[in-house]
Amino acid sequence: MITLYFDPGLGAMIIQTIIAAVAGVILFSKNLMYKIKVFLGITKDNKKDVFDDIDINKDSDLENKNSSEL
Amino acid sequence: MNSKNAHSSSFRDPSGYVFTENGKIKRAINPIYFKQYKALSDSGFYNDLFKNKLLIKHEEVEKTDEQIIISAEKIPFITYPYEWSFNMYKEAALLTLKLQKYCLEHGFSLKDASAFNVAFHNGKAIFIDTLSFDFYTEDSPWRAYKQFITHFFGPLVLAHYHGAQQLKLLSNFIDGIPVKMLSSLLPFKTKLNPLLYSNIHLLAKLEDKHNEDYKGESKVASLSKKGQLNIIESLYNYIKKLQLKEQSEWGNYYDKTNYTDDAFIEKSQIINAWIKAIKPERLIDVGGNDGTFVRRIDFEVNNALVCDIDNNAVDFNYKTMKLNKEQFMLPFVLDVLNPSASIGLNNKERDSFLNRIREFAPNVTLALAVIHHMSLSGNVPFRNSAQFFSTFSKHLVIEFPKRNDSWVQRLLKSKGEFENHFSFYSIENFEIAYSEFFTITKKTPIINSDRVMYLLEVKS
Repeated sequence: MITLYFDPGLGAMIIQTIIAAVAGVILFSKNLMYKIKVFLGITKDNKKDVFDDIDINKDSDLENKNSSEL
Repeated sequence: MNSKNAHSSSFRDPSGYVFTENGKIKRAINPIYFKQYKALSDSGFYNDLFKNKLLIKHEEVEKTDEQIIISAEKIPFITYPYEWSFNMYKEAALLTLKLQKYCLEHGFSLKDASAFNVAFHNGKAIFIDTLSFDFYTEDSPWRAYKQFITHFFGPLVLAHYHGAQQLKLLSNFIDGIPVKMLSSLLPFKTKLNPLLYSNIHLLAKLEDKHNEDYKGESKVASLSKKGQLNIIESLYNYIKKLQLKEQSEWGNYYDKTNYTDDAFIEKSQIINAWIKAIKPERLIDVGGNDGTFVRRIDFEVNNALVCDIDNNAVDFNYKTMKLNKEQFMLPFVLDVLNPSASIGLNNKERDSFLNRIREFAPNVTLALAVIHHMSLSGNVPFRNSAQFFSTFSKHLVIEFPKRNDSWVQRLLKSKGEFENHFSFYSIENFEIAYSEFFTITKKTPIINSDRVMYLLEVKS
């Protein structure tokens, strides 16, 4: 582990436990709401979205394959 | 340590430094980072990121016991966070979170989350600091968390509430906007939002409290990996949905110009014919709005920089670029009356716009519908603007709206009693002043309009 070359902020290090707990509740409730909405059939699919999901697709080279075909 | 000529921004991280050699961007890695570098290379971590175009590609060119040298793909033009539009900023923030999640899943962690670690290349945000990855220590909090808040999350939330101009703050606060300031700038209602309260207001409070712990008595709490992933995912979801509140002033610019359809098409044809003859590899459109005219050029340029003072127009251009999956286009925010300066340590850490454009060396510059704004709104005499443009490229395509043009009239009327001070604004004076620096190669009036197009060539 390299000694850090900038100040991470002591408060910021301590507080992350609290933030993580809050984030956990938010994610849980959003997820629940989403499931309810799907169940009721009121979700909207935004296909024009410019940004993808957080997950990086490791195995699929689909994007690269497509672009090399062009 | 920095035996080779290290880049002036590359001094903070002891792991290594960037330098240029024969025009190539190289990175020297010091022994302190060998273990990490080996693990990242051998596990295929770097390769996965290359494949997904999330990290700038590099290859190893030299390896000794004292140093490893890698050569990185060169990005033609580096833009800085304070030159990004709102959605560009968002993409950079999301990229950083995406990388941190991927890191955690593979036993690594980002050791810093500076907005300057991201650049735009081939139509996408890309991470450029190859040495930012470190091993993850079980149950440790994210060390770069606060940096992420001050560099990315804070400015974006500020922009959401107070407009995209807020993003320019980073040119003064080069290491992120202080949390205390973020907290005080945000409206009270943000305290009622659990995510904003915990990530900004509470953070500001705790930072303040622990500020004076010089003895290091406070204990760093442990945080499970799941907990850290929760933070990252909740920030990701929030940022992804974040929108600007303000409406675009220029968003529908071309709907409210004084052009007739004929004039618009003719202007575009004139540009097209001239550009085709010049055959440029690189060009810059100063005041290019949403990139309309550059997109209508029927010649394949490798790189087109399209800048505008209005963040919304740049953002509109960026979204179009994303939807069309264009790789040649690079939109960014630029105020011609105050281009980004050289800042940071020794005033050399982040390069000025003028230095970067000199290095980029465009073959042609477009300045369409800019001169009247510079001359009449900015009070810049023709000679000064001519001198300014003459440093960009050999060719300049410039559009001159005559005094009768309705936009010019509008700008003149807004001067009230000072209208007479702007009597210099005439096509004759324009030609005289510009002839000092340029030769007029071509001159074509646009039909059904009070505008004239010029193709100029810099006098050697």
